[in-house]
Order: sequence, then C-alpha cells, then structure tokens
Amino acid sequence: MHDPSRRLPGERLFSVLMVAASLFLFHTATGISGFAGLAEPGSFPIFVTGVMAITSVVIALRTFRLPHSLEHGWRAIFPGFVILTAILMGFYALALKPVGFLPTSFLFLTLSTWAMMRCALWRAAGFAALSLILVYVVFRLVFSVLMPEGLVPEREILAYIAALFSGGGK
Amino acid sequence: MDFAHFFMSWIDPQLLGLVGLGTFAGIYIGAIPGLSVTMAVSILISFTFGWEMYDALALMIGIYMGGVYGGSRTAILLNIPGAPSAIATALDGYPLAKKGLAGEAIGLSTTMSALGGLVGIAVLGLAAPAVSEFAIRFQPRDYLLLAVLGILLVGSLSGESLIKGVFAGALGLTIGCVGLDPLTAEERFTFGHVELWGGISFVAVMIGLFGVSEALMQLQHIDTPAVKQKISRVIPSWRAVVKFLPLSLQSSAIGVIIGALPGTGGDIAALMAYDHAKRVTRNPKVPFGKGAQEGLVAPETANNAAVGGAFIPMLTLGIPGDSVTAIIIGAMFIHGLNPGPMLMIERPEMFWFILGALVLAVGFMLLFGLTGIRLFVKVVELPRAMLFPLILLLSIIGAFAVNNSLTDVYWMLGFGVLGYFMKLYGYQLGPVILGVILSRLIDDNWRRAIISERESLGGLMHGILTSPLSLTLFLAVLAILFTSTPLWPMLKTRLHRRRPGKDEA
Repeated sequence: MHDPSRRLPGERLFSVLMVAASLFLFHTATGISGFAGLAEPGSFPIFVTGVMAITSVVIALRTFRLPHSLEHGWRAIFPGFVILTAILMGFYALALKPVGFLPTSFLFLTLSTWAMMRCALWRAAGFAALSLILVYVVFRLVFSVLMPEGLVPEREILAYIAALFSGGGK
Repeated sequence: MDFAHFFMSWIDPQLLGLVGLGTFAGIYIGAIPGLSVTMAVSILISFTFGWEMYDALALMIGIYMGGVYGGSRTAILLNIPGAPSAIATALDGYPLAKKGLAGEAIGLSTTMSALGGLVGIAVLGLAAPAVSEFAIRFQPRDYLLLAVLGILLVGSLSGESLIKGVFAGALGLTIGCVGLDPLTAEERFTFGHVELWGGISFVAVMIGLFGVSEALMQLQHIDTPAVKQKISRVIPSWRAVVKFLPLSLQSSAIGVIIGALPGTGGDIAALMAYDHAKRVTRNPKVPFGKGAQEGLVAPETANNAAVGGAFIPMLTLGIPGDSVTAIIIGAMFIHGLNPGPMLMIERPEMFWFILGALVLAVGFMLLFGLTGIRLFVKVVELPRAMLFPLILLLSIIGAFAVNNSLTDVYWMLGFGVLGYFMKLYGYQLGPVILGVILSRLIDDNWRRAIISERESLGGLMHGILTSPLSLTLFLAVLAILFTSTPLWPMLKTRLHRRRPGKDEA
C-alpha cells in the first residue's frame, strides 16, 4: 500500500512523533551513566538511541519533502473497522480482569464479528459462543492457560462438571 | 548416542503428533492471507511456556516448515501470497491456475518445496557442526559485527528504505535495553517503575508487532471476496519432477545461502531464485509471468531450503536467520537453552532433535500438501471477518498467559498500534524484533570487546582491521551502509555512463 514516492495522510505527524520519541529516549539514555566511559551501562543505550534520533530526523526531512498522495484519504488510512477494533480491544483489556475472561471475550467476539460480517446479532453471538468454547477447550483445558475468572466462578463450575462425570454430582 | 535424538520425534507418539499438528496448522495458517507464520509462532510461543522444550520445539518447527510452504497455495489459487515467501510464487503460479492447471501447480510446488526443505536440512546437518566449531574462535567484536550485519541486512533487503530499517533495528535494540543492566544492575529506561526492572516482555512485543498490527492491517481488506477455484489432479508426474531437478537444486543452494545469512529469510531467497530461474532458463515453454513452471519451481524450492539455512546461524551463533527463528531463539532462552556455539557442545542432542523434527515436518508437508485439497479450499474461502476477531482474542490471551499480567497485554496493544502505523508508513517490523532479541548479545559483546581493549576505540579498530574475519564482517557492514547513501546511485550512474564509452573505444 505504501508508495515511497508519495506521502500518506498522517505520515508527517508520525515522523515528527518518532523524532520526539527518539530525542526523549536519547536524553534518558544520557542520564543512565552519562558519558563516563565506553563500557558503562549507558554507553550502548546512548549509541542506539542516538542512531534512532539521527535516522528519525532524516526520515522526517525526507517525508516532509514528499508530495501528498492523491489516492489515499484519511478513511483509507484509518478505516472504520480498524478504529472500532482498536477501541474494542482497549475495552477488552480494561474489562478482562474485573469482568473475567469468558464474558469479556464473548462480548468482544460478538460485537467485532457482528460489525465485520454485518450479520444478524444472534448469528454473531452464536459464532462467538462456538469460537469461545473451542478457544476455552484448547487454551484453558489443553494448554492450561489461566485467565482471570472475574464474575464467572469457573473453577467451581469445572469442579461440578468433573464431579458429575465421576458420579459424585449433587 | 546424541544422534539417536534425530529419531526422537519419529518414535515418540506425542512428538510425532505435535510435529504433524504443527505442520498441518502451519500450512493452513500460511495459506490464509493475513495470517503469517511469524504471527502464528509468536502467539503460540506464549502458550508453550509450561511445556517441555521438545514438545514446544516440535510444534514450532512444524508450523514454521508448513507455514513457509502454505503461502504458495493462496498465491497459486487467489494470486494473494499467503506469506511473504510466496510473493514470487504468485507470479507464475496464478497464471497457471487461470489456465485450469491449479492442481498441477500445487502438486509441483509441494514436491519442490519438500525437495528444497530436505536440501536445506542436509546442509544444516553438514554445515552447522563445522560453523559451530569455527564460531568458538569468534571474538566478542565478531559477534558484535555479525549481529549488526544481521539487523542491517534484514533492514536493507526486506523493505523500501535502509534508513527506515536502521531506525526500526535501533528501536528494537532500545526496547531490548529496558530493565536492569545485566552487569551492574543500573536502571535503564525504567523511569522509576519497578515493573520495568525485568524489561518489556519480548513475547508481548512480538505478538503486538506480528499478531495485532498484521490483523489491523488486514482489516483494511476485509471486504475482499474469496475467489473459488476448481482443482483436479494434484500429484505431479515423475517426468516433471526429473525435468526440474537441476533448477530445483540450484534454487535450493540459493535458498540455503540466503537463509543462512543472518537476518534474511525465505522471502528474499524466493525472489532471488525466481530471478535466477529467469536468467538460466533460455527458452521457457511459456514465458515467465504467464505461467512458466520454472517460475513456480525456483521460488518454492528456495523458500523451503531457506528454513534449514535459517537454523544454521541460530543454532551455531545464536543469531536468528529470520523473524521466525528470532522468535524460536526467544523460546529457547525461556526454556533455559542458550543457542550459540556452546549449544552444539553442551546439548548436541538438541541439534539432532531439531534436525529430525525438520525432516519429519517435510514428510508431513508432502503428505498434507498432496491431500486434503477440498478441505483446504473450504478453509481458504472462510470469510476473514470470522478469523480476525479470533486472532485478536488469541493475541490478548497469549500476551496475558506469559506472566499472568495485564501490563503485558497493554504493552502488546501499544506495540500493535505502533506496528500498524510503522507498516502503514513503510517501516519494516523484522528489524525491530531482531533488535529486541539481539540487544543483549550486542550490548554484552560491545562491552567485552571494548573492555578487552582497555576502553580504547583505536585498539578495537586495530583488532578489527588485523583480523580477517572481523575485517570481512566490518567491510560487509560498511558496504550495506554505503549502498544506502546517495553516493551509491551516483557511483552506479557514473559506471553505467562510462561503459558505453569504453565499448566505443
């Protein structure tokens, strides 16, 4: 998608942000152990952040000289799906611990599938439920990944199911 | 005794199953456009922390081998390379499919991929012990130069501009510096936060850069409909295999060499092999770009041969051959292994195990590649809108699972967004991850090298200029840097201008 001879919307801002971040990191690196010696803990960080600073400035200068791309507008750079997904992921990460893995993932999958596939909500929810069962079986039960329980008492439910199968369910 | 480990994955049912499962999954992941092997391995690595090293490696090797091959399927069927290593495959593979020869093209690419894979593994088996023995004599400055060379190579060959590649590499090296200094425990880029003392989880960085950012990029093309193809005969004729044997062996050689160069992988190997095929095939039956079988054979052999090649620097020097081996190195670190020359001496059984698992993966690749075409077509035709929410969910679970920490999830999301913008604006992500993995190695060796010269830069330069190996590496680094300056195009123009003059004279 990126044509090196044209500048995309937002590319100038990104290059400036990279310069600012590089200079900030370089400044921080100089504070580690100063310029005391070549084998000091700060010498390598100073060098690499210095390289970052120099290259980012060169990139920014080149970017500013490039003509604007006529093909791509802001919508091509930030399609609605990308923004929506990024927001949903942000909410997912925030809600994961307090609400728990199962409800958060179900909501995330339902909403994102619903938006992307433009299907009926019940179909998206059905797909989300099926996917979540698969993910849960593979990752929680096979890979033994521990995810936050939150509102759903997962361990108790699993113990109850195990007890049912062993004939001890109440 | 150590050699017996070669057959370990063949005999142990669990390991056999994991290599098979990995290869199967790799083929499908590699085939679905937008899902890359790097993405799969980086997400998967977080789930295999608690596993035995052999189990984790078996799965990752299968995915790697299968994924490099799998990209060719969609390149042939849809003209969309499933992986960067299949870009060259699409050039002639898709025209073949348009002529109704999709089955034959898939069959030929599968057989040649297997052949290339085997050649790569054979070279790995023969060369790695010798390289490792040689590498023991490496000085810290050689490691330093080799690692820098790797980052520069991946930066210069895989993207549109070296300067962006250098920036990306330096960014990765800086990320790798975060935490307490390993020698003096001095805080570096921690900003007073105790949580940063251990550094930023490289798994979070990897999943963010290769999982989330790639998924976000692919969301731009979510409405592209899947193209349907009819496939008939898949198993290629013996005559066709024999006919292309010389070209495939040449392409394998290119693949192994390119794969073995630190930082370069199957994508570059495939493009170079395609170019080679164009030059050596005098009178192709069908012109290149219009469905020449040579144009399919060369890149497919080379990209799988590069897999074996990529393992050479990884196992012998501790320097990854490409992004996937960078991730595998990370996994080995976590499991307490230290890839490098000492691995071959201290844990030779691990080397033989990897070799055996790679051969097994090639066998599975052949098996799954020549069968299950109908299932494959169905999977590829799945709407991508169904897949991406799942990938993003797995990315979040993966980042969380490493340390059971939400901080890692936030890092992953942050790097996902950064990676999205970097990709959008033409920065390469390969050098970032190579930088993160190599940061410690470069820092350690820089300090060892400079301390051994009593902190004298002149002494270090003298050491570099008087050692043939160091000098070669140093010149290679300079050459890459020189070719990215404006002087290089000026010099090339001058040379081109002079040539006709000479001819006339």
